[in-house]
Amino acid sequence: MLAIYKKELRTYFTSMIGYVFVAFFLVIIGIWFFIQNLISGYANFEYTLSSITFIFILLVPLLTMRLMAEENKQKTDQLLLTSPLSASSIVIGKLLAVFTVFLTAMLVTCFYPLIMTKFGTVQLGSAYASIFGFTALGAAYLSIGLYISSLTESQVVAAVISFMVFLFTVLMDGMAGILPTDNQAAYIIFSLILIVICLVLYRMMQNLTIAVGTGVVAEVGLTIVYLLKPTLFDGSVVNIFKWLSVISRYDQFYYGIFDISGIIYYLSITFLFAFLTTQVIRKKRWS
Amino acid sequence: MIEVKNLVKRYGNQIAVNDLSFTVEKGQVLGFLGPNGAGKSTTMNIITGYISATEGTVTINGLDVFDEPEEVKKMIGYLPEFPPLYPDMTVREYLKFVADIKKVKKSEKQKMISDIMESTKITAMADRLIKHLSKGYKQRVGLAQAIMGYPELIILDEPTVGLDPKQIIEIRDLIRELSKNHTVILSSHIMQEVSAVCDTIMIIDKGKLILSDKPENLSTHLGATGAMKLSVKGSSKNVIEALKKIERVSKIEEHQQTNEGVVDLTLYFGEKEDIREDVFYAMCEIKTPILEMQTLKMSLEDIFLKVTNQEEKAIHYEKQSDETPEETSNNAEEVNSDAGDL
Repeated sequence: MLAIYKKELRTYFTSMIGYVFVAFFLVIIGIWFFIQNLISGYANFEYTLSSITFIFILLVPLLTMRLMAEENKQKTDQLLLTSPLSASSIVIGKLLAVFTVFLTAMLVTCFYPLIMTKFGTVQLGSAYASIFGFTALGAAYLSIGLYISSLTESQVVAAVISFMVFLFTVLMDGMAGILPTDNQAAYIIFSLILIVICLVLYRMMQNLTIAVGTGVVAEVGLTIVYLLKPTLFDGSVVNIFKWLSVISRYDQFYYGIFDISGIIYYLSITFLFAFLTTQVIRKKRWS
Repeated sequence: MIEVKNLVKRYGNQIAVNDLSFTVEKGQVLGFLGPNGAGKSTTMNIITGYISATEGTVTINGLDVFDEPEEVKKMIGYLPEFPPLYPDMTVREYLKFVADIKKVKKSEKQKMISDIMESTKITAMADRLIKHLSKGYKQRVGLAQAIMGYPELIILDEPTVGLDPKQIIEIRDLIRELSKNHTVILSSHIMQEVSAVCDTIMIIDKGKLILSDKPENLSTHLGATGAMKLSVKGSSKNVIEALKKIERVSKIEEHQQTNEGVVDLTLYFGEKEDIREDVFYAMCEIKTPILEMQTLKMSLEDIFLKVTNQEEKAIHYEKQSDETPEETSNNAEEVNSDAGDL
């Protein structure tokens, strides 16, 4: 694990990517800090961080695109997978390395609230809570990026898909507003999602019986629940969309609240996608 | 040491490896021989635990690759078809990284890296970026990576691809050196290479094991016949007549006359027989001087071609004469002797 961590970290700083990321990140945060906190005179650093969450959409794919995709392309995954390393130590090593690069930028950010104390009273607690939340949000995005990178051999494909997915997580909150809230529409949408799941299942297992069987059983269950208790479906689609919206969880930090549930949510996402990445690596053996 | 049992690998409807079984003892060098797409690399990937088998088991020192992959992988060094190199690292950085992931002890690391660089002759390239190396050097760095940690079992997929003849000899010597303390499995489609280094050769085609034996015994499996090239001064009618009397000759092939009054023939006879004296006395009887007599050997290429070719092609024999193959096949007049029917 340590060997992988060191190797990845060295790659970030022997190529341009590490420096470009840190520099670009600090430039954007610096500009927003300058405009919002120094010129406009808001004493809340959390406002600045909340307004630049879009930074992840642009910069995280840059960091994560080559993590696994390049190994797949150069066939070096063969070296890693035939060495005594476990899949999880490979993933943890890589995730920690990319997180370290991100943390380097975040550490510099920690000085900004201190600069503000020169000019007046600053709520340092809420400022640092928002920095902590921002870091956790970043970890979640990095983990998703790592997962997407493990699915492909091409860095470009990994970057583009990551970009789309991240964009979707940002837009999801807005999309939830226009979605229907009545139970009938919810029932139809869930049925459609079920069909998609069955198609994916069939694609993965190449077994028509299992795919159709699962689909029919799930659809019957869904229909029974719908007939017995239709109120359960009220507004469910919107709720699910809101629940999936990674970025809207950050709103609490904007109000200066240290949202434990949000932190746990981000950590769960980080672990979930790190786990999924190990599964992708393990699955290679069975392809 | 390694036991492979009924290995099968299917990709959809395609069978890459079909019911392959073999064992390799400690200290042996096993060579996989087969045309492209025969399943050599797939078999190696399964043994190293990179991919799984559809059916069958691989055990190394009694440990199953599927059940205890991490333990088994400690015992294996692997050079895949494409050397797994990081182009942006220097050779030394790369080997350090490999030593780390193979869990080489810190105290031994430095010495091991320099020893291995010495034996694979890449010391001069130690501080160059791998992307700037030539194909031959990349291959050697890949080989150095496989040896790192001195694992008990070293698996090399086409180790001499891209090397020049001198380097090939060096690598062969290195493999021989390694085989003193390690078990080696290597694959190749070049016969000389396998026959030069291996204790056992396995010929694989379309995922199936066709033949497995020591290099020197291979030809006996094919019911191969011996052959002899003969040039005598005299008339062809008399010569063939006289040769037919030798019982052990099964077939006589006459070639087009190139020199006036000289008969060129190829004689076929049972393998492991020596008919040189018989031929000499037969020619003496009809007072025909022998100008040239040469026993032809079936080469590994011929064996390879013969076993891997579906349409049993005629066996070509190694020749040092200036005859072209067309002459042999187009103009040869085949004469079956009576002795062949006995």
